[in-house]
Amino acid sequence: MNTTKGSFSSLFSLEDVCFDIEGKVILSKINVAIDTSGITGIIGPSGSGKSTFLRLLNKLISPTQGIVKFKGSDIADMKSQELRKEIGMVLQRPFLFKGTVKSNLLYGPKIWNIDYLDSELVKLLDTVSLEADFLERDIEGLSGGEQQRVSLARSLANQPIVLLLDEPTTALDIVSEEIIENTLKQLASEGIKIIIVTHSLEQTKRLTEQLLFLKEGLMIEKTTSKDFFERYNDQEIHSFFKNKEGK
Amino acid sequence: MVPQFLIDIWDSLSQTSIWIRIGLAFILLVVLIGLSFWQKTKLESKFFWSFLRGTIQVVLFGSILGLIFGVRKIWMLYLILFFMCLFAGFTNARSYPYPRMFLIGFFAITSSSLVIMTLVMFSYVVPGFDGIIPNETGTIAGLTGEYVIPIGSMVISFAMRVSGIAVERAKSDIIKSKGSIEAALALGDSPYRAIQNILRDCYRAGLTPTINRVASLGIVTIPGLMAGMIIGGIPPVEAAIYQIVIFLMLLSASFITSIITNILFTRQFFTEKQQFDINFLNKIAKMENQTTRTLLKERWKKWREKIKRKKNSVETTE
Repeated sequence: MNTTKGSFSSLFSLEDVCFDIEGKVILSKINVAIDTSGITGIIGPSGSGKSTFLRLLNKLISPTQGIVKFKGSDIADMKSQELRKEIGMVLQRPFLFKGTVKSNLLYGPKIWNIDYLDSELVKLLDTVSLEADFLERDIEGLSGGEQQRVSLARSLANQPIVLLLDEPTTALDIVSEEIIENTLKQLASEGIKIIIVTHSLEQTKRLTEQLLFLKEGLMIEKTTSKDFFERYNDQEIHSFFKNKEGK
Repeated sequence: MVPQFLIDIWDSLSQTSIWIRIGLAFILLVVLIGLSFWQKTKLESKFFWSFLRGTIQVVLFGSILGLIFGVRKIWMLYLILFFMCLFAGFTNARSYPYPRMFLIGFFAITSSSLVIMTLVMFSYVVPGFDGIIPNETGTIAGLTGEYVIPIGSMVISFAMRVSGIAVERAKSDIIKSKGSIEAALALGDSPYRAIQNILRDCYRAGLTPTINRVASLGIVTIPGLMAGMIIGGIPPVEAAIYQIVIFLMLLSASFITSIITNILFTRQFFTEKQQFDINFLNKIAKMENQTTRTLLKERWKKWREKIKRKKNSVETTE
């Protein structure tokens, strides 16, 4: 066990955080500080509480017990909407809104009165490797990979400082996965803090520098990716990933 | 002394023709239940109990209609309308058994219907106008149950029906679109804005049938009220205009009720922290699973089991 207590200098710190639904424990006594330099991965078997952990960070849910801090302040005291502007989120499925790519990209900026020129939107599309002509396209005609890239661009349009991603490439083909991974690396190099939930060990190796390992609602380990993959062989890692049901 | 309305009921029930009509209605009800079984709509028990309850209510109501129509006291008229709203709220809560549905429905139906009815009842104060509801004396005393109650019942029942459709639609659409709503919340949107499109579709679903009915007036549909007025000797143009006014009242009351109901109902889906209320979602999901519309067959089974248990317990004690 190598958990770390939160400190005020951390981007996020969770102190004794528990989350349960109707008596079912999802997360238990999580104490961890996340200082994202590069990309942080959250890994663990199915049902370990990874997505719940991520949702706590942008207040889509609140802990049943404990405190979640963002830049040293308890997020319970922060306005949810303003917090979510700073902490963008990309869900497992793109969940685009009816209309064009442009209307989707402008959804967040309209809330925050951020003005965008078409040229700036094209630049945003370029970040996620989509051509300028996508701007006026209806979302109905886009492939799964393209939709997920629009979803990523839509979150970026809010100009967040942190980006949370919940298994964003699960339903995508290898090409789309590679494009999204390259985009994330590029964003991280530009200073955007990225925290990604993934079930893929290969993706964890390729992308992340730090990782948090969750199992059955407990924080098992916080370490660097390099250290994790050096310390454990494949067999050991796969045994970690077996949940209660052995899946 | 037996009340007059009971004597009237007895007189009507002693006629053979009324029993033939009941028999015919029963055949149609059996056909409806059969269709429901066939199409697996699980509405069999609802058909049966609604018609049974409705028949008893309408017979009793029809019998005391004469008494109600004679009411001339304004507080009595309001009391009757209030009672109708109470019952409408109760009916809606039974059909859509979601948390706080009775209070929400009752409040929404009462506030919108009574406001509309008050405007209509007191429209005679406009100089040179005898009121939307005919008021020959031009005073409060001129308002009688004969006009106020039937119009009130139309307004209240429409408001009840349309708001019910809107709530049901809102509930299922919010659950269906949970991911999109969460995506909007994650972008910093408020819950109200995040579900605005859903609410818009709910109002459309509730109001469109009535709007279509208005659009087809005189060609496809001749409303009962207008037909009755013409038969009663009112000039057709006057009856037609009257009908249009009634439709506008119905639409206004329905729309206002739907808005109030949906705002109050959908608020429960979210917490003050602009999150989905997981406990409320779970409660709704549980309600979905415990289907309240039990099949007649299931009720029959339960009843037989109950009788068996009673028999067994009697035998054991003996």
